[in-house]
Amino acid sequence: MRKSWLRDYIIKRLLYSIVIAWGILTITFILVRVGPSSPADKYLANLAAKGHDPAQVIAAIEARYGLDKPILQQYGEYMLNLLQGNWGWSLSTSMPVMELIKRHWIYSFQLILLSSLFAAVLGILIGIYSAVRQYTKTDYAFTFLSFIGISIPNFWLGVMLILIFSVKLGIFKTYYDTTLPLFSLANLKALVLPVITLGTGMLAAYVRYTRSAMLENLRKPFVVTARAKGLPEHVVIGKHVFRNALLPLVTIIMFDLGSIVFGGAYLTEIVFGIPGLGQVSFNAIFANDYPVVVAITLIGTLVVLLVNLTTDIIYTYLDPRIRYD
Amino acid sequence: MTETPKAIAKDRAPLSGGGLRLIGYYWRRLTRNRLAVFGLAFIIFLALVAIIGPFFTPDPTEVDFEAKNLPPVGFTITHSTYDIKTDQFITTRVSGNWKHPLGTDRKGRDMLAMIVSGARVSLQVGLLATGIAIIIGTIIGVMSAYLGGWVDNALMRFTDVMMTFPFFLLLVLIVFIFGPSLAFIVLAIGLTGWTGTARMVRSESLSLRTREFVMAAKALGAGDGWVVFRHLIPNVISLIIVIATLSIPGVILAEAALSFIGLGDPTVPSWGIILEEGQHSLTTAWWVAVEPGIMLFLTVLAFNFLGDGLRDAFDPKSSV
Repeated sequence: MRKSWLRDYIIKRLLYSIVIAWGILTITFILVRVGPSSPADKYLANLAAKGHDPAQVIAAIEARYGLDKPILQQYGEYMLNLLQGNWGWSLSTSMPVMELIKRHWIYSFQLILLSSLFAAVLGILIGIYSAVRQYTKTDYAFTFLSFIGISIPNFWLGVMLILIFSVKLGIFKTYYDTTLPLFSLANLKALVLPVITLGTGMLAAYVRYTRSAMLENLRKPFVVTARAKGLPEHVVIGKHVFRNALLPLVTIIMFDLGSIVFGGAYLTEIVFGIPGLGQVSFNAIFANDYPVVVAITLIGTLVVLLVNLTTDIIYTYLDPRIRYD
Repeated sequence: MTETPKAIAKDRAPLSGGGLRLIGYYWRRLTRNRLAVFGLAFIIFLALVAIIGPFFTPDPTEVDFEAKNLPPVGFTITHSTYDIKTDQFITTRVSGNWKHPLGTDRKGRDMLAMIVSGARVSLQVGLLATGIAIIIGTIIGVMSAYLGGWVDNALMRFTDVMMTFPFFLLLVLIVFIFGPSLAFIVLAIGLTGWTGTARMVRSESLSLRTREFVMAAKALGAGDGWVVFRHLIPNVISLIIVIATLSIPGVILAEAALSFIGLGDPTVPSWGIILEEGQHSLTTAWWVAVEPGIMLFLTVLAFNFLGDGLRDAFDPKSSV
């Protein structure tokens, strides 16, 4: 009984995600087509200076990119190309955009993974502690600190960490080295400051989420029952309260991916010169490399979509109380 | 917090709808939160600095050739310059002076003047972009809740699509495509940042729509316009104020971050642009990166404190 509605629900969610993905691709297409500059701009000035007729250059480039075709046909080809994994050609790095993404995504992934682990472990522990000791001085201190952590602009924090640790104290002066293995000691050392930079805002947010999720459950009758049974306090907190607080917590944390984490990772990579997708997009902006900037925004969005879908499905599996109809 | 019964009675919400008395009631609840008061005070101070500050500081684009990389008052640094005649490095000690209280950057521009004009830019961006986002979000939210049916469906699916885009990545794409002018950055933030507001206003309006006073108004023959403007919007206004206050810091940070990665308006000295410049002169002039960052941080902190305080003050369930 439960199994069949679960399957129906998952199919429904999948179809819905496809609709959303279609919306995302369409909006991106419209943005690029409505925009005032085109891929032709980069070469126009260059070739015109060499004595080519500008009108001819524009016509040639438009034909090359299919910009002279009817808009609906362009839209159809754009969709088809994206579905086939043909994401365009990066002019500044002379390789397919897909290849560029394949080479660099792992560095972004590593940074986000390590920062999330750091933030989630520490944030949940502090949040639980704060909730259990509600209205004590430590709770107030942590609440105040979490306000500060949320308010610190993460790129500025990165610059300040470089100033203090690299420039003044002369430690952590290492830079990320792509020739070394991902999890080599040198690269992990180079990631200490970036992880703190990206992780601080997340950590502060997780402290607040955990604290309020714990407090909500701490007042429920089943906690009184558990205590009345004579269970030790750490079992009450760890097993009864925390387990119930965990699910909504995971959802919020996953939801933060698009709003906080991706933007933060983009900036952190630029500050510390980590060769992830943020850095790639940053370089592409200066090279006016259209397809790369578009592709990286799209990739980020599709990852958010996928993570939301997965979270939703896992949630329904883990919490038997939930039924979506 | 212990209170005498008299004090509690004094600030119980008035039963009749005296607007001023209600504002007074919320004001008392808000000012009991010390952090919110600090936030409000800092924001007022910043607004004053942004409005009248530029009349007292020099032109931020004016260059003082005699005083490049001058540290703030109270700090001394050693400059080392290469002397071509003697082929040696000469180290000179330079101290900050009151002519440039916050020092100067590598071009010799006065930091105080730049910070003050940056305050103007940041506040303008924060208020305008948030205003646009809130208006769009409220219109979509109320329309969705009130009209229901396929309009609700279409609007909410569109909101879902917009929500899936990572906010900053979408912003980067739009500003990259349309070019970095300040007016456009404001518009771009406003046009992308309305989704949260739309969702919250919609769910609040949905619950309001079925309440007795709305049904009573309808039974008495009130039209859609009357119900929306007389009953729905006034009742979501406190929610909107809280969302707006808590969105402003995100907007200010978004503009600063765009400027920081080179997608800011190069003609306007915003805090993000100063910070971007300072990042490259960390070894010679650390204060250029430190000062705008502290201002950004304090501004964001102040809005977060105030927003949190407002949320508690408006929430009848919370005991402030």
